[in-house]
Order: sequence, then C-alpha cells, then structure tokens
Amino acid sequence: MIKICTVYFEGLYKPEYVSKLYRSLKRNSTVPFEFICISDNKNIEADVILPYNHLGDVKRHWHKLKFFSPQFAYQQPGDDIIIMDIDQVIVNNVDDILKWEVKENELVTYENWWNSKPNPFAAVNPLPINGGFYKFKSGSLKFIWDEFSLNPEYWQLHYYNKGDVHYKYYGEQNYVNWKLEEHNCVINKLPAQWIGKYADTNRENIVLNKMYSTKFNTDFMILDDVNDNIKIVHFLGVGKVIHGNNDSFIEKHWKL
Amino acid sequence: MRIICCRFGNKFTQWHVDNLKHMIDEYSGLKYDSFEIIEDDLFGNWFNKFQMYDRFRDGENLYFDLDVVIFDKLPNLIRKNFTLLDDTWWRERAHTPLNSSIVSWTGDISHIWNKFKQKQNHYLKTYIRGSDEWYFKNIEYETYDKICPSIKDYIYTKPSNYSVCTLGQMHHLQEEGWTGWYSNYFLPKTRI
Repeated sequence: MIKICTVYFEGLYKPEYVSKLYRSLKRNSTVPFEFICISDNKNIEADVILPYNHLGDVKRHWHKLKFFSPQFAYQQPGDDIIIMDIDQVIVNNVDDILKWEVKENELVTYENWWNSKPNPFAAVNPLPINGGFYKFKSGSLKFIWDEFSLNPEYWQLHYYNKGDVHYKYYGEQNYVNWKLEEHNCVINKLPAQWIGKYADTNRENIVLNKMYSTKFNTDFMILDDVNDNIKIVHFLGVGKVIHGNNDSFIEKHWKL
Repeated sequence: MRIICCRFGNKFTQWHVDNLKHMIDEYSGLKYDSFEIIEDDLFGNWFNKFQMYDRFRDGENLYFDLDVVIFDKLPNLIRKNFTLLDDTWWRERAHTPLNSSIVSWTGDISHIWNKFKQKQNHYLKTYIRGSDEWYFKNIEYETYDKICPSIKDYIYTKPSNYSVCTLGQMHHLQEEGWTGWYSNYFLPKTRI
C-alpha cells in the first residue's frame, strides 16, 4: 500500500489545500493510495485524519516526522510511505512518482535544481533533500522519529539556536538530513525536470523559467500553462501561499 | 486500598482516566476499595498532586500517573512509608533521581502537604522543573526497586520482566494513530 501523508494546521493555509491536493492526486493518478493527514481540523478531506495535538510536545512541521515511525498511521511492513507538503500543485500524471521504486534505508526526494547558479535567490548552503517530498519504505528510517522523540523540545529549536534557520521551529529538513547522513542512508532524487518551483515574485520566476529551460533543454517552466515535463509545482519557502494567486496554471490545476 | 490519579488542564482527558482504570481492572490484578480522581487545578502544574496527601490521610494508598501502561499483574506496590520511583537505573540523574509516576503510602503523611503549603509561592517559583525535585530536596522518602522502566527502551518489544512502564515524554503513544504492543492494553478510543 502507498500511503501519502500530510500535515495541516490552522494558520497560514486553508483546508482547501488538503482537499485540492487530495483530489488532484486522485485525478492525476491510476495508482491506489491512502491519503492521511495529521490535522487540528476534523473536517478536512482525507482518507484518514489523525490528531494534531496543540498541547503535545511536537510543533508545526515536525509532526511529519511521526510518519517515519512504523507504529504510526496504521503502517504495515512493506508499505511505501510518501510525506508531502500541502503547498504543491499537481499538474500532470504522477503515477511515475507514486510508483517510483524505493529500497530499504533509502530516501527519495526532490532535486532542488533551483538552488544553484545562476539563481541569485538560491539558498546559501542548500540541503541535499527537500522536505516537500520524502518517500521511503515503512519503518526503514524509523530512527528519524525514534531519536527525535527522545527530546523533541531540544531538536525543534536546535537549528534555530544554531543560526542555521531564521524562524523558530524550522529546521525539520536539517534534522532529517543529518540523521540520514549519520545512519549512512542513500538519498536518491526524482528526475529534476518533473518538479517546478514557483516563487512569489515575477523577477524570481523569470530566473527560474530561464534556468529550467537551459538546464533541461526545453521550453520555459511555466508560461500560460506548465511545461509538459513537469508533474508537480512546489511553492516552497517561508510564508509562500497558493491561494490568492491568479496565474492561469493555478486556476487550471489547483481545484476541487 | 485506595487508587488515586490526578487530572487537570487540557493535556489529559477523561479517556486517560478511564484508560488507567481499564488497565488496572483488566491487567494489574489489583483489588481496591475506591478509585479517586483529583481534578482541582490549584497550581496549574503537577504540584496539584500534593492535594492527595491532604485528602487521603488513612489506609493504603497507591497513586498512578495517567501516562503509564499497565500490561500484566503488578507486584505488591503498597508501602507503609512514603515511597516513589527512583529512575536512575535507566536514566541519568538530572535534577532529580525521583519519579512520582507511582507513589504509595499508608496512613497520614499530610506533613508533605503542610510543608509545601507553608512556602507554597517560594516552592512554585523554585521548583519549576516539577514536583519530583521538591520531594528529592525537601522530604524523607523511600524508593521502589526496579519495577517500572521507561517505554522509550521498549518501544518495539514488550518488556518481559516488568508489568508497568512510564511513557515519560512519549505521551503521543496514547494518541489516535499509534499502534504497538502497548496499544493492545489501552482502552479503545471508540469506547469513550
């Protein structure tokens, strides 16, 4: 069984993010999957809703780490677990992503092709993984949750206190990456051209379009519609939202 | 014999109280006369537990935190003198070696309550890491033998030599969505 696992909490995003992701994954795939969401809103649309406990020790995006435990979300041995952020727009068939083979002790993630020259907006010292998408075999990376759960309060502020991230309770990707390195895990990437990155300024999007075109020897990433090679567009970045955005490709693909 | 637990605030719900009673009734082998719940939130923290030393001044008393898993017949936990857990056989000593997840006494030990009340404000400001440090530094106590490990060392395999574990920081294991050997002993959520 493929389990697609997400986290939603009231605040920056709206419940429609979960519905639109869920329905667009269904629309754009033929592969059976179960869609799971940790949420503080019991009315969101998912196959399984698990509680987001505001009174517990785990904060914000760190809830994603629970899915690394084989004891969470009714996982069974052999399940393929996919953790996805909800700020993504599915624009083409994703069967190849859902069925992408993953082995024990391996994490499959997005290639952050945009975090390189000549992008002046690229992250400094970017991580080799992208927290927007993790795929792994159930339980094979359980140490990520097990070791975090011994001291969540420490880890959730560790990368902020070190100065590696600039917002409190950020750094979940840093932690996952460090644990993967510590345990000598394999990190593999989906084909880079399958993933688009959308920024919230025209200037950055122009740069990204040119980069995409040059890097993959194809058309621009997004003009009126999305390049045919792209399957998912990610709106990653602090505070970036999809709603309120009037671009035609969003109206076409980000819908119920 | 009296079983006691304490529930206040929003972190623990009626399910946690019902769950403790369920595990005691189904697995512990304990026979008791009353099941008492302290719910008055006088201090907003775990010093609320101290109310039991004021309220229950006679007979045999056995207290459990709500975040334990009881999965087999318990050894005799009733003690004459004030007795609680010493965790230093499975963790570092930290600011206190003590853990009041399980407490027992017989008769009147209201001196604990009285001592706390005498300088209540001072103690609440001083012992911000919890009441177990207060016990350690302020009163006479006895400790149990190695009867109650932390579940953190037994997440994937049920311990064979014990019948109760503390959840400690692992409260999440009592939330919906977690399934392991421990969840077989919890009260099903649908039964609330």
